[in-house]
Amino acid sequence: MYTGPAGSANLTEQIHDYNVHIDSNDVFWMVRVPHEAVRVDFDDARASLRVQGVPVFDDHDLANSLTFGLGLPGDLGFPYPAIAPTAPVRATVSFDVEWNGAVATAQIHNDAQQFKGFFLSTGATINWSAEQPGFRFQSETPDPTRNLVSVLGHEQNGVFFG
Amino acid sequence: MNITNTVRPSRRTFLGTMASAGTALGAGLLCPKTAYANSEDGEGQHAPCALLNPIPGGLAPFKPFAIFIHHNPLSPAVALADIKDPSQITDFDGFVGLTHIRGGGTGIDTNTGTTTPLAFQADMGFSQGKFIGADGRRHHGTFAFV
Repeated sequence: MYTGPAGSANLTEQIHDYNVHIDSNDVFWMVRVPHEAVRVDFDDARASLRVQGVPVFDDHDLANSLTFGLGLPGDLGFPYPAIAPTAPVRATVSFDVEWNGAVATAQIHNDAQQFKGFFLSTGATINWSAEQPGFRFQSETPDPTRNLVSVLGHEQNGVFFG
Repeated sequence: MNITNTVRPSRRTFLGTMASAGTALGAGLLCPKTAYANSEDGEGQHAPCALLNPIPGGLAPFKPFAIFIHHNPLSPAVALADIKDPSQITDFDGFVGLTHIRGGGTGIDTNTGTTTPLAFQADMGFSQGKFIGADGRRHHGTFAFV
């Protein structure tokens, strides 16, 4: 979440960063949800993800999320701004994401990354909210023009790649 | 603390370094719930310790200050046929979804009622299917990327 105009995402203007944190096996920001939370109609290029009240952390910004609250120094010759250290706080998020309609399709067989499958570039919308002590956020009415890029896939990777 | 020589610090090595330096913030808040999944081997019984395995690839934003993350974010500049694995988990066979959406909304100070227009970026998704867990067993599961 950013203080800039809608559609912007500048790190120095970020004031909230909601995620479930990396798990103890280094898996990035994944959390189990009920099976019914996800519905996929792959043949029709549609899917949805609907969850209410997921416990998350607000790390304030991406830099603090990926440095575990240490921020960025900003003065050592690297192309990153100075970001002050910030400790995470607990929050909840609810979201309704919809993938809708194929824009492009691709069959991928990537030996280097050991993944393959059939992938769709799709339209997408999101309606989401966040809540934490002293603050609440509600996204605008879902707007298909806000989608930058979204993908659906039926894939196999790792041991299922062969 | 000096982590500039660590090319790809994982979460575990990064946290170990932080903990030894006594500088980690909010360490008790760092771990999400353990991933649960239905075990095929157990005929639908829950396997409460079925940890997922991360994809081997990813990237290191803010290198050398931050960790290597096992995630390939979508970019509008990359053609669909050239995308990297959009899954966060490996040894996986199923459906994946990933988004990269920017928009706006309203922030509300719940103490004062003051409202503020804000921008957001949502990189979210899901994985639903079968996978081999860190326990070496086959499972089914549904996961949100949040």
